[in-house]
Amino acid sequence: MSTQGFDHEWRFEELLDAGGLEKIGPVLAQLLGGDAAILDALGKVCWGELTEAAQRAPLVLELEPIAYLASATATPSALAGARSLLQMLLRIQMRYKMASNLHLDAVAEDFESLRLKNAHLQESEARYKTLAGELEARVKKQVAQLEEHQQMLYQAEKMASVGQLAAGVAHEVNNPLGFVRSNLSSFERYLAKFAELKARLDEGAAAWKALDLDFLLEDSADLLGDSIKGLDRIARIVSDLKSFSNIDRASVEMANLNDCLQHVASVLDGNLPANVRIELALQPIPSFVCLPGHLNQIFMGLVRNATQAIVDAGRPGEIKISSELGISVGREGIFVKIQDNGVGMTPELMARAFDPFYTTRPVGAGAGLGLSTARNIVLGHNGHIYLESTPDVGTTVIIFFPLQK
Amino acid sequence: MPEAEDGRLSFKLVYYGPAQSGKTTNLLRLHDLLSPELKGEMMTLETQDDRTLFFDLLPLGFRAPSGLLIKFRLFTVPGQVAHDGTRKAVLSRADGVVFVADADRVQETNNAESFQALSENCARVGLDFMSLPLVVQFNKMDLPAAVPETDIRARWSATPWPLVFATALRGDGVAATFIELLRATYRRNAENFELLSKHGLDEAAFVAGAVGRALGSADAGDARV
Repeated sequence: MSTQGFDHEWRFEELLDAGGLEKIGPVLAQLLGGDAAILDALGKVCWGELTEAAQRAPLVLELEPIAYLASATATPSALAGARSLLQMLLRIQMRYKMASNLHLDAVAEDFESLRLKNAHLQESEARYKTLAGELEARVKKQVAQLEEHQQMLYQAEKMASVGQLAAGVAHEVNNPLGFVRSNLSSFERYLAKFAELKARLDEGAAAWKALDLDFLLEDSADLLGDSIKGLDRIARIVSDLKSFSNIDRASVEMANLNDCLQHVASVLDGNLPANVRIELALQPIPSFVCLPGHLNQIFMGLVRNATQAIVDAGRPGEIKISSELGISVGREGIFVKIQDNGVGMTPELMARAFDPFYTTRPVGAGAGLGLSTARNIVLGHNGHIYLESTPDVGTTVIIFFPLQK
Repeated sequence: MPEAEDGRLSFKLVYYGPAQSGKTTNLLRLHDLLSPELKGEMMTLETQDDRTLFFDLLPLGFRAPSGLLIKFRLFTVPGQVAHDGTRKAVLSRADGVVFVADADRVQETNNAESFQALSENCARVGLDFMSLPLVVQFNKMDLPAAVPETDIRARWSATPWPLVFATALRGDGVAATFIELLRATYRRNAENFELLSKHGLDEAAFVAGAVGRALGSADAGDARV
């Protein structure tokens, strides 16, 4: 801002400088008949020479004279006219000076206002930035907490299914184990009979007959043959189990989904309720790069769901597991369908089926992560999973895995 | 603070208010109505459509018995919203303010915003709003849509400022407003400048000197018209 405000009392020399006086002085002198001088408010000569006999006329802009026009040669009316003229000139000058000074002040004020506004804006922007940062950090923390909880539940669910699987496997293995053991103890008794023969060798063929060794020999072959079959069955169960043992070792492998489905079916087959049957309808499909451990887990869960749906319906039923090549949304890939003729689902239920923690089972029977986990795994393979279901008719789960080009 | 130099004391009085509330009209009427010892010509800086662009200036003055020249320089601010910077610059160094409000009912919001801006601008230019001599004038009371005087009085009853009702176009209330401001200005400054003790000026003489003998004695006693 100017040190002298637009509204200060303007002095004569501010309005008319030396250059201006040099231009206007001679003109006035000529108008006034030769002699003219201009004096400031205190009577000091600013231009011209003051003659003894000069008449003075005051130049007034507001209330008091700011200068005087003096002339010895002018008539009173000429002096009055020249004074008015000069006064008018000074007044115009003053208006101009006031307006331009005020304009500068106003611009400075406007600039100051803008600067203040800008400072405020920057301050609030900084505040919002801090706030946004805090918010982001809080959201991240909460998301991390949720993920942790979900992971814990997921782990618990997996442990539960591993438990179920273990129970099924124990049952499966117990059965052949039982008869192999019984066979072997029978065989032990038969061997004792053969040992007896050694003492009665002099009786010849009579002893052979008396000890009924023909039967023992024949039955031993049967016992051993059955035992080998039983051990083979155990070996097969163990081999099937192996594909489940790498659930946590999420290794990417070339695998054929038909193998996975067969494993699942054979692991569960012996463990099914009496009135539930599994039927496999597997078309030839190519192997592809996937996480077989995870896929086994989904298939297992889905077949178990289907079993439960049939049990809930309270009638005999079957689970049809099929695979085939097909095209979905313009991509070639593998369709896997798991179809049951159990209780089916209402549209409301279907709408929520993939929600995490949503379950229709009694509390404690499941965390409700089966389908949501399944969907995550399928999405992880760039595939998709959906349901078709009619209440009291059954449910089909359809999974599509695109084959990468 | 008023300027005091070379045997004269100069008061800057500012007419503030929303656009077209009648600030310039107040000054024009004062120029006609008042007859102080010294009265300058009115200087206006207006645009072609008669809106004030920078300010109007009316100088008035008289001599105290002591010989001290008392000057009053009456300024108006431009009312249009866009000229806030100019308003602030004109307002700075003010010794007293008349707030000219438009009594027209539809102008109520503009009045309120302008008054709010006045208090903020005072703070910006370093004036203490609460101790600043201030008179509130409601102009255009002759309008059919004018808010009735009783309503306005009720609304402003809790404020410390004198209220004057005016129809500036006819000259009504214009002098009364100015007289109220002169009184407040006298009270604020009398002690500082020893107006009574050193210069022989009491409040009535101060007012009478500024408005002229005839009007001063007739109107000064009955300012709240």
